[in-house]
Amino acid sequence: MEPKPPEFGRFAEPSLLILTSLSDGPKHGYAIMQDVEQGTGRPMGAGTLYAALVRLEEQGLIEPLTPVDRRRPYRLTAIGASNLAEQLRGLSDFAQQGLRQLGETQP
Amino acid sequence: MRSLLIRCYPARWRARYGEEFEAILVERPLGPFDVADILLGALDAQLRLRGHGATTEHERGFTMTLRIGGFAAILGAALLALALLLGSGALVRIDRVVPSLLILTGSLALLVALAGMSAFQARAHPRLSWAAMWLLVIATVSSTVGILVGLADSSGEGSFVWLMLGLQAAVIGSVLYGIVTYRALSTGAALLLVAAGVLLFVGLAVSSTDYQQGGSLGIVAFYPGIICFAAGWFVLGVQAIRLDRPATAPPA
Repeated sequence: MEPKPPEFGRFAEPSLLILTSLSDGPKHGYAIMQDVEQGTGRPMGAGTLYAALVRLEEQGLIEPLTPVDRRRPYRLTAIGASNLAEQLRGLSDFAQQGLRQLGETQP
Repeated sequence: MRSLLIRCYPARWRARYGEEFEAILVERPLGPFDVADILLGALDAQLRLRGHGATTEHERGFTMTLRIGGFAAILGAALLALALLLGSGALVRIDRVVPSLLILTGSLALLVALAGMSAFQARAHPRLSWAAMWLLVIATVSSTVGILVGLADSSGEGSFVWLMLGLQAAVIGSVLYGIVTYRALSTGAALLLVAAGVLLFVGLAVSSTDYQQGGSLGIVAFYPGIICFAAGWFVLGVQAIRLDRPATAPPA
């Protein structure tokens, strides 16, 4: 039986954004916030960031590294990378289906 | 401001994330959005960490509601005692809308207290619990009406009836809840609330007859009644918070 995917409730979207931000290497909190803001055009507050980080760490999808100047970087774990890939594939399928329904699929 | 916001998080959370979180707040200028976001994050952390040592979701919910109920009881006791004092005109002569507002917020706080602490009294007396709950609902509604009438009627006579109705409903509801929880939470609090009910009603009855003759004998019973009322809910609240603290919480 496949393990149940982790539930993040209302922090599902911030969690996905954080995982995506960490997919190209470890980052500390402020760098994640900047990365998310650049990628989505929307700011992510520190309260939301840490609520999601705590959940991701508890689920073993990210892990903390040694702090540098009080900033603690986080990196994706193998489970986190696999979970992110699965979520992105799901979103991609969903987007493809939506585009097909609109008749906008590119050949 | 930064340290104040960080202090809104639970101690265990601060011990793990406090330093790195503060480093972020130093780098990022705080706007209203950030403050609201951090306060919501702190609330989330408080709710998540509450009862983390509990083994089931039910226990987690239980410890959380118990503590919220305890704090609400203390707040409601303070607000209603102040309403009684101001309403009696002993401290200052003020518009009756102020005590009505205090009764409204105090009754709402006691409703939250009753709902929170009801998780603990194990439904031993469901009818009394529901009666207490409905009486506090009546107190809340009646003080809301009192406020509206008071705003429309400058003489304040109309609002006085609603104010007294709300007050009496809150007092009777409190007495009933004291009886409901006398075994589970605190016998002392139950005795204080029952004594408050008796003293306040004696005080009100004597005052209304004595008022015709210009005397103030009712005060002899009324003020000890206020003290017993506030003390009763305060003891209930403290007892609920103490029960929430204990061995169920793991070390930080």
